[in-house]
Amino acid sequence: MADDALWYEAALLVGVTNALNVVADSPLAALEPASPSAEAQAVFAEIRAFYDRADVPVAFRRVAADPGYLADLWGAARRVFADNQLTRRHKEALAFAVSVTTRSAFGTAFHLGEMRRLGVGERGVMEVLGVTQMFSSYTKIADTLQLEPDMDGIAVVDPSPAPGGAAPGPTPRPPEAP
Amino acid sequence: MPTVRLRDASEYPAPIQKLFEVAKAWFNYDFAQPPAMSRVMAWDPEFGAFHGRAMKRAMTPGEWSRAEKEMVAAVVSGVNACAY
Repeated sequence: MADDALWYEAALLVGVTNALNVVADSPLAALEPASPSAEAQAVFAEIRAFYDRADVPVAFRRVAADPGYLADLWGAARRVFADNQLTRRHKEALAFAVSVTTRSAFGTAFHLGEMRRLGVGERGVMEVLGVTQMFSSYTKIADTLQLEPDMDGIAVVDPSPAPGGAAPGPTPRPPEAP
Repeated sequence: MPTVRLRDASEYPAPIQKLFEVAKAWFNYDFAQPPAMSRVMAWDPEFGAFHGRAMKRAMTPGEWSRAEKEMVAAVVSGVNACAY
């Protein structure tokens, strides 16, 4: 897990997971269009295929009144949840942990279901839940005592450039005294 | 700044100092002092022993690798806005 790319990917996933959860868990059922437009239906078809399910998760139905927004939201969600450098299976575990931590009823149930659909067993689910619970304990103990980070030295620095970019040049020397 | 004075490892009794060595091996890193959280857990061994075992059990490779679990731990810490 030393590559920054993995952590960028995880961070984007956390953001989108939270974005979907806040809409799905809010009392917004009245916003779901009774008859979604053809454009929205086309996006729904992609969502059903991605998740291999007959229905469309509520987080997407609630923004379907604006098909353009729905399409962009789905594009971002599909990108972060698809297999990339992190597997889709691991991403669902991360999303489950985020959802449990943020007390999202929608996200917890949805990502638990996705983990199982992607082959995570009961032991695997318990392992993710155990890590989530233990770090929900550690973080609050640390915050209560205002502990300062002392493990940052463990992490190695990834010197690779941004995707498609050039590696950083040598650090310029400061001017010398005359 | 911490709201308590974190004791140096040398201020803990010998049996606890052995546990600090175990923590060093777990992280595979030579800390100048045991991590602050290790020292907090060691304050009350009757709590820390149970909590530490539960943590180690949760983080031990199983269906998920240790690295995958560390990333789960990191996102939970991030969502909890915990800088530590």
